[in-house]
Amino acid sequence: MKKQRSSFSIRKATESRLFFPLIAFALVLVIDLILVPNFFRIEIRNGNLYGSLIDILRNGSTVALLAIGMTLVIATGGIDLSVGAVMAIAASVAALMMNPWVVGKELTVELQRLVMDPTYTYSPFWLVILVTLFVATMCGLWNGVLVAYVRIQAMVATLILMIAGRGIAQLITNGVRIQIFYEPYAYIGQGWIVLPFALYLVAFIYALTWLFTRRTAIGMFIESVGINPRSSFFSGISERKIKLLAYTFCGFCAGVAGLVASANIKTSDANNIGLALELDAILAVVIGGTSMAGGRFSLLASIIGAMVMQAVNTSMYAIGVPAFALQAIKGVVVILVILLYSEQVRGFFQNIAASRKEI
Amino acid sequence: MLQAINIFVTKNRRFVPITATAILVVVAYIVGAILYPAMRNPQVFFNLFRNNAYLLISAIGMTLVILTGGIDLSVAGIVALTTVASAALLREGLNAWLVILLMLGMGTALGSIMGSFIAYLKVQPFIATLAGLWFARGMCFFISDDAIAIDNRIFKILGQTKLLIPGWTEIATSQGKPAPFISIFVVVAFILFGIAIYIAHYTRFGRTVYAIGGNEGRNEQSARLMGLPVERTKLLVYTFNGICSALAGICYSTFVASGHGFYATGFELDVIASVVIGGTMLTGGSGYIFGTLFGVLVLAITQTLIQFIGSLSSWWTKIVIGLLMLAFIGVQSVLAARKEGSKQIQDPQALAAARLRRRRQALAGSVVVVLVALAIVFVPQMRNGNGTETVVGTVCEVAPFREEEAASFLADGAVLVYNRTAGTPCVDELYAIYPDGRIVADNGTGNEPIEGQVDMAELERILITASDEYKWFTDNMFSTYHNPCRQCYAHYLTISYKGQAKGITAVDGGVDMQPEYGYTLSIIRPILPKFTVEP
Repeated sequence: MKKQRSSFSIRKATESRLFFPLIAFALVLVIDLILVPNFFRIEIRNGNLYGSLIDILRNGSTVALLAIGMTLVIATGGIDLSVGAVMAIAASVAALMMNPWVVGKELTVELQRLVMDPTYTYSPFWLVILVTLFVATMCGLWNGVLVAYVRIQAMVATLILMIAGRGIAQLITNGVRIQIFYEPYAYIGQGWIVLPFALYLVAFIYALTWLFTRRTAIGMFIESVGINPRSSFFSGISERKIKLLAYTFCGFCAGVAGLVASANIKTSDANNIGLALELDAILAVVIGGTSMAGGRFSLLASIIGAMVMQAVNTSMYAIGVPAFALQAIKGVVVILVILLYSEQVRGFFQNIAASRKEI
Repeated sequence: MLQAINIFVTKNRRFVPITATAILVVVAYIVGAILYPAMRNPQVFFNLFRNNAYLLISAIGMTLVILTGGIDLSVAGIVALTTVASAALLREGLNAWLVILLMLGMGTALGSIMGSFIAYLKVQPFIATLAGLWFARGMCFFISDDAIAIDNRIFKILGQTKLLIPGWTEIATSQGKPAPFISIFVVVAFILFGIAIYIAHYTRFGRTVYAIGGNEGRNEQSARLMGLPVERTKLLVYTFNGICSALAGICYSTFVASGHGFYATGFELDVIASVVIGGTMLTGGSGYIFGTLFGVLVLAITQTLIQFIGSLSSWWTKIVIGLLMLAFIGVQSVLAARKEGSKQIQDPQALAAARLRRRRQALAGSVVVVLVALAIVFVPQMRNGNGTETVVGTVCEVAPFREEEAASFLADGAVLVYNRTAGTPCVDELYAIYPDGRIVADNGTGNEPIEGQVDMAELERILITASDEYKWFTDNMFSTYHNPCRQCYAHYLTISYKGQAKGITAVDGGVDMQPEYGYTLSIIRPILPKFTVEP
């Protein structure tokens, strides 16, 4: 009896959505432990924590933010390729509002001094944040309308904004990279309260989303739409509104991520902010165990998935793999993860397990 | 009458997108030719093919992939890897033909690996090819971090041979104009085009490709039940696309005569866009390789028009392409809705409702198309109020930096030498500033150099700001010019101050240009004398 119970709890653990991402995270960390000296050392300076582990959390926060929104979209059976471009748009809007002078003009020296003043901002800070997030949410709404109401395939509909989005971001800043000197803004990406400020942002958005999806029926509706849109329609769930909501929220998350990313490098870099991050976000969700076909999802698992991606990055840098060559390794890791989840491989392992039991 | 048109359109529904694209190409070219007389030069037309041969090659392979309902994001990665690998192998002294064969083999191998993941292990095409993209791009940087120049006779012949157009040469020479020409790879692309059309429409394999795609994967199931070799066909399609990508990569490397891992960034999106604009449904099962040619031409003309307009930045290309995609996908979904509607609805009341809905959809679709057309025609006009033509010719031939000249100016005692090339008016300007504030500048046309004067205190301040505030002489500032972007300015700035001299290159919109570099330029630019624009 006792034995049965323990095996039951192991089974429960392995079936948990967090199990695989956590194992993967642990695996990467163990590799780091062996290969990178002082990887786990955490220093305390001015009451704040610093170290490689903290770096992983901090750098992973952008992808984690994207992954939260992406999880909901993928759970409805869709995909959002435009999040990277939306990040760039958000960064451009924010930078333009704080520092509109650089656009299209050659600055006088006095104006340049003013612009470089860390306390100077053209629009008030709260307005910058509000307008930026509003613009990003509108981008998400646009995707949602195309997918839910115009009935364009999700991948295609969001591909449009992915292609045009970076052009729009360039258009907003007139093709100039605006540097941001305003200190409170930089705090979003670079501030620390014991832990990096961006992490609190992730936690806040996560808590908000969790409350919305798990303490109301919305989460259930999303899963139901993802599993079978037709039958959820017949059971009275407004499939279109749920999809619209998911894409809009994904746009909002991309906006927050855009704020963090641009505050981190203190520039609106329309060409590079969020470049290829949509892929990182999708992979984070996939590592988190949400099926690309839609259905059941776990927000926390996606966030851990984002951290796994970042941990792989950080440890590769620590080992000394060149930054751009890293992509090759990422590609291989992705295929391995996908294969682990694929039904063919699972079926193969199940067959082995079944034949062992028979023996 | 209206009904007759309606019936005609419904009967030939499958040709509607391709016709729309063809009309768009013709209209865009005519509008361009009316607005910009320089565009009437036949060479501009042939350059559409010459500059986009690699896009056409890659789009042909992609069309087959999309017809099966899949997608291949790895093309850009394979193109970049081909440029780097062939450049590295040629540097080692390998035979050029052997290199080309090896590259095609590499494309085949990568394509078939991704294809087998997709066909046999049921990995989503999007994910599998994405991993392929990352893998290929990453491998570029394992081979080399920097751009490798290609200096090979055969590659030069392949890239630079001018094939004259029969019949055009006499006309051109009688008018005293240079004869229009195309390159070898245009011919290669069209041979591939012919082969692909044959494969798609006249072979069993081609029919299977069409049978697999469409209807959200249900057609694939039916194809399997009919006994068609679904898995093998998919594998072959991705392999074929791998070969096409490698061929496009070779074409690209003869075009730019170098190899680097950042080449063709975002190229996969251009390829997908040209396939979609060419009328192929992204869900698969419907579309023509022939349409892809027009899709490529639409992209090419968009780029050319934006270059001709001159005052528009290159990012307008992306916005226009996005809008065009939206319009075409809109048209497709309207057509799909018509098809569904005509099959299912019997009841007269529902029929009326459906007609109303269809009318609304058609209205919405046409509004989008009209808006896009208006945007294409008028936005450039608004942006370019005075309507001057700044660009004559087609693609800016980016002049190399005049580093030796700059060095001789420095030896002459200049404290600041600034060389600016390319850009929308396609310039090659060299400014030398001397300690006494004298500025000598020439724009590379062989004309008399112009002179300017700057306040000595101002110059001193600039030098101090650049070296102290912007840390010009630290290791933080390094050259970031990798590849020409033609529409952006490329800069080469040398500063000599207090016994230190350092020249750094960069390009506007460059991936890794330091902000400080931009600031330095922004304080230098106001003091430079202006060249009078020649009419």
